[in-house]
Amino acid sequence: MAEPSTETQAAAKAAAPPPAHVHGHDDHGHGHEAHDPIHAANPHLAHHFDTPQQQFDAGKLGIWLFLLTEVLFFAGLFCAYTVYRAMHPEVFVYAHYFLDTKLGALNTCVLLISSLTAAWAVRNAQLAEKKALMLNIVITIACAFTFMCVKYVEYSHKFHDGLLPGKAFQPKEQIWELKSFRDKHPEAAEYAEKLAKLDEKKTEPAAPGAAPGGAAAGMAEPAEAEKMERPTEEELEPLLAAGLVGPRSLDPSAHISRPRMAHVFFGIYFFMTGLHGFHVLIGIGIWVWMLLKAAKGHFGPNYFGPVDFTALYWHLVDLIWIYLFPLLYLIH
Amino acid sequence: MSEDKPVADKPEAEPAEAAETAASSSPPPPSHDGSVRTTETTATKEERSHLELSAEPKPDEPKRNGGAHGAAAAHTHDAHGHDHGLAHTMPIPLLFGVLVALLVLTIATVAVTSIDLGAQGNLIVAMAIATVKAALVCTFFMHLLWDKKFNLVLFLTSVLFLILFLSMTTADRGENQHAIDEYRALQLGVK
Repeated sequence: MAEPSTETQAAAKAAAPPPAHVHGHDDHGHGHEAHDPIHAANPHLAHHFDTPQQQFDAGKLGIWLFLLTEVLFFAGLFCAYTVYRAMHPEVFVYAHYFLDTKLGALNTCVLLISSLTAAWAVRNAQLAEKKALMLNIVITIACAFTFMCVKYVEYSHKFHDGLLPGKAFQPKEQIWELKSFRDKHPEAAEYAEKLAKLDEKKTEPAAPGAAPGGAAAGMAEPAEAEKMERPTEEELEPLLAAGLVGPRSLDPSAHISRPRMAHVFFGIYFFMTGLHGFHVLIGIGIWVWMLLKAAKGHFGPNYFGPVDFTALYWHLVDLIWIYLFPLLYLIH
Repeated sequence: MSEDKPVADKPEAEPAEAAETAASSSPPPPSHDGSVRTTETTATKEERSHLELSAEPKPDEPKRNGGAHGAAAAHTHDAHGHDHGLAHTMPIPLLFGVLVALLVLTIATVAVTSIDLGAQGNLIVAMAIATVKAALVCTFFMHLLWDKKFNLVLFLTSVLFLILFLSMTTADRGENQHAIDEYRALQLGVK
């Protein structure tokens, strides 16, 4: 991230007709800044910039270029999400019952509030309101910690319940045991519970020691499993209506109570929210840095770039969450 | 952008110019205090670069006093939320207005999930609300409304490539899904 230093161009004007040596100041580096009224009046103006405005604009361009790469960085994950959801909508319907919408909504609000304080902090920096600036940065950091704490609660529940990517996916609770699912589809919950016994029968000969939850993959089932009684498509109607069974999960080897490859959702979930959370952590670090600079009284009308750029980064993190929240938590 | 440029190329900065002359008569101020005092002259510069972009009128320009009371002048000036310093300053009511809008939209997007709008309907509504929220954040919190247009173009470029990426991959998947399904059916049939 660019860290321009700047403070004033006013002084530029202050020495109205700039003497000739001003133009040559870059050649001499820091040592000659004393002779340059612009740099003399702007302790945070880097020697390779002529004015605070130039320094600010350069830094702003830099941060926007960085944000551009961030958008493309996350684009890969959004692409994986889009393709997987298009292929297996039932997996997303199934998995979203395991996510806590209230916690997701709470985190959304926390991030939005922190975005306000971040934008306000930029204003404070521009107006050299040191105390308000520090207060707003502290609130922003507090919101970021709140966000991470809520994330911690969510993650630890998922770790505990075996809702993990890949082979680690061993859900302790079945879909019909979830209150969120029962409330919405009581009939489908009953069906799923009943039909799950088929899954158990299928799983047991393959892995005798396996827990009732069963192994993650439903692909390599022994031949006798297929001879077992399968519900017809009409019988599965309640599950289809609940979106729990999709056209591609109706193959004979699939578990009925759990869509095939449900674990991939949690792979996507952890990767997307994890990368986002990592950005929040980095953001906390940068805000602490800004707080220290603010405490030293560095910021004013001619030098607030760092606060502005940190806030822009923070808003982008907020922006990504604005999309992640409905995509992961609010699946219909 | 040379800062030594004479003020002649600023078409609409007359009041600010006056302030500038006032400020330029004082000696170069020292350190921190100085940076505040120099606010007025800075505003003129800013004025020049943002005149075309600024959506707000600047009726209070004459309110500014030149010289030593820069800090005080800056405060009254910015209480009205107009251009200031190197970039636009967000008025506090606007900040809170945007936050309220964002929170209301968040509630709306949660509430709308309880309404069945068809297989894709809910997703489309959720994405539409998210996009409105994103636009609010970009326009106001990220200052894009007042920022240099070039930064906006940069950002929109990333969005454009995001859309290209998603749409091409989705189209590819759609066209080849039947092959994937056939392959899977074949695999299962062999077993």
